Amino acid sequence: MTAPVTSHDASHAQPHFADGCQFAKVTVAANDRLARDTYRLRVTFPGLARRIVPGQFVMVRLAGLNDPLLGRPLALYDTVVDAAGQVTGVEVVYRVMGKATARLSQYQAGQSVELWGPLGNAFSPAATEHLIMVAGGIGHTPFMALAKEFLGVRSYGQRRVERAGRVTLCYGERSAEYFAAVDAFRATGLDVRLSSDDGSLGHHGRVTDLLRQVLDENGNRGRVVCCGPEVMMAAVARLAAERSVPCQVSLETPMACGLGICFSCVAKVRQADGTYDYKRTCVEGPIFDAEKIEF
Amino acid sequence: MTASPEIDLSVELGRLRLANPILVASGTFGYAREMAGIVDLGRLGGILPKTITQQPRPGNAPWRTIETTGGMLNSIGLDNDGIEAFVAHHLPYFVTLTTPIIVSIAGKTEDEFVEMARRLRDLPGIAALELNVSCPNVSAGTDFGKDPVKCHHVVAGVRAVATQPVIAKLTPNVSDIGTLAKAAGEAGADAISLINTVLGMAVDWKKRRPLLGNGMGGLSGPAIKPIALRMVYQAAQATRTPLIGIGGIATLDDCMEFFVAGASAVQIGTANFYNPTCTMTILDGLPGAIASLGAKSLHEIVGTLTLNPPKC
Repeated sequence: MTAPVTSHDASHAQPHFADGCQFAKVTVAANDRLARDTYRLRVTFPGLARRIVPGQFVMVRLAGLNDPLLGRPLALYDTVVDAAGQVTGVEVVYRVMGKATARLSQYQAGQSVELWGPLGNAFSPAATEHLIMVAGGIGHTPFMALAKEFLGVRSYGQRRVERAGRVTLCYGERSAEYFAAVDAFRATGLDVRLSSDDGSLGHHGRVTDLLRQVLDENGNRGRVVCCGPEVMMAAVARLAAERSVPCQVSLETPMACGLGICFSCVAKVRQADGTYDYKRTCVEGPIFDAEKIEF
Repeated sequence: MTASPEIDLSVELGRLRLANPILVASGTFGYAREMAGIVDLGRLGGILPKTITQQPRPGNAPWRTIETTGGMLNSIGLDNDGIEAFVAHHLPYFVTLTTPIIVSIAGKTEDEFVEMARRLRDLPGIAALELNVSCPNVSAGTDFGKDPVKCHHVVAGVRAVATQPVIAKLTPNVSDIGTLAKAAGEAGADAISLINTVLGMAVDWKKRRPLLGNGMGGLSGPAIKPIALRMVYQAAQATRTPLIGIGGIATLDDCMEFFVAGASAVQIGTANFYNPTCTMTILDGLPGAIASLGAKSLHEIVGTLTLNPPKC
């Protein structure tokens, strides 16, 4: 392993500090079960909702409790638009993993959570003929907004992207009962392909098999965005590199603040000189070019 | 909320004067720039940026933090770019702020502490130095904070070359905090801050492995507040050097408890992670809380705790 160097210096790393971040105690508008252990939380928070773009995240904390203590980073799933066309709220989708998410899953409309964001950078808005989204498990959540954006269905924040020629979602889960929002994805008009580890829905096998199939069909065109377990992202990154297709990954590293102040959530990022540096996923990610990540 | 203008919040920590006692702890506020969009930095009594070392340090391997009941363990490992990068890249930002900046430094040896203090002599934008003699996550990190003789030497050594007031930050991982506080005070520390994190561990019994990449780490957050309060009280009995309370402080009530226990000021740490605007809420309520004790200044209430109150 090469010797690491460090560089958390604002002047040349250009992190995405949370300058537009808002912090508030907000009311739960809805908390709906989408699939096994999988819930969609909706809150009203117009100031945040009007700014957030696909790939960014928010921190959600159970208001007033010291146990669990810390917020949990959750990616933007979609924003909420009211009848008058105003952006009023945000939705995040989470899977019950531990103490905080188990409690959150019991929350009813009217209860309070503390929420801060928007946080982090965003998926690239660069135009592409074919946007290929590869999701493992709960890693599907950042792709609803991104799909709508690249299909020209919705826009987010101030950014405007050119409609992609085609958008595909390759989505792998352990088993059929975990697939969330497949109908909602299909309703946006994108090409949805499913795989499951046990063969109970879609292709019996890995989500990388689906990506290989898509790249075979399209002649290795377009670009890939990926979110899921680390081993799966590493496999997708390798495949994209083999096919010379650009790939971005959305990292999820254990995070305490989401703001860049604790230096917990670091990922190993390759530098131009071949060394690596620990970068804060929250302010220098969570979206990174896959080729730069040392999985 | 309106502030009560008649309440004097100013603090004297030896030669260091602060407008108010609400500071943010090193390692929990990045390099302040990160929080500029969330917190009104100008309202804080002082800011302690992340500890710097002589040479750049990559920090420890992930996982670096684990949430535990009412707290968190960290083993960040003093991830920083070194003192030269700090002077070149972070100090210019601090110069633009009106808030006093207290630079936290950690040396591997006494000479390194002294060398760093010499490098920072007379630099604009630095109100004071805090000597981190208490980091549990680097080898020899707590050596100077555990041995009163070594602690005295390093504080005196830095005091001799530094042009800024000097604060010694002590570790709770000792058997007698009073002795350490006394040593730091006698060596000329303008103030003593305590406590750093409490050494702890989290384990995955199924894998039979620690959860932190570095094995052990420092516990912080509300879980350690009673330990910190006890140690601040004990230090206050052992030395007349002003104390800065640290350890699980998250609310106005927490701050007031530390003041009456003997702290002249406090540093908010882990609470910045989970309630990033808590310092502003605390500052909103502070004058009213002091007034509720019938006092006109913060100074009047510091160390006013009495043990075994007389029976009614």
